[in-house]
Amino acid sequence: MSKSEKWAWWTLGVVVMTIAAYTVFLAFRGHGPAIISVFVLLALTALPASSRRHLQGRTFDERERAIANKALRAGFSAFWLAFVGLIPAIGFTKGWNSTLTLPVWTLGEVVWWAAILVLGVQALTTIVLYRGGSHA
Amino acid sequence: MPSQEPEIKNHIRRLRFEHGEMTQDQLAKRAGVTRHTIMALEAGKYFPSLLLAFRIARVFRAPVDQVFEYHATESNL
Repeated sequence: MSKSEKWAWWTLGVVVMTIAAYTVFLAFRGHGPAIISVFVLLALTALPASSRRHLQGRTFDERERAIANKALRAGFSAFWLAFVGLIPAIGFTKGWNSTLTLPVWTLGEVVWWAAILVLGVQALTTIVLYRGGSHA
Repeated sequence: MPSQEPEIKNHIRRLRFEHGEMTQDQLAKRAGVTRHTIMALEAGKYFPSLLLAFRIARVFRAPVDQVFEYHATESNL
């Protein structure tokens, strides 16, 4: 298993663990404190050595780079689709001229779910491309 | 439905054995890639860039067309 695959599996694990921790915290502490409590867990994605390979002077070879680029693009495409889908959904359900009054924790939660989405899709795409063989 | 993908075959595995049973790791180091990329190339799961194709050919001291072979089909002439 390559270092990039190990990073992907690790990241997927961190994403699942973070969502599980969020669910637990949500039950006991409510939205705001739950988000603050689990946000730091996402920093665990920086633990694998492959996350710091640029700092250590090691670089991807062309196939790894192609897969990493595709995975990142997939992650941000998912985010973009979710964002584009969310705005019309709010517009159609609440009315286009309505005003939203949202609690402060919503901001943190939106950023958190966006990070979860990008990291999760990026990790999954990496695993699929390595498993399936990429003609990248 | 015929495949639209060009069929590129390579003889890396045979050439490795003809060059003193060179390991995938040795070839990877000399070509400047990871062993996983050599494995993917040999399995036909990855088509290299022109630069990598030349680098691999250089390791074997062979022209590129002796390492990589292009099989044109009617759909991808």
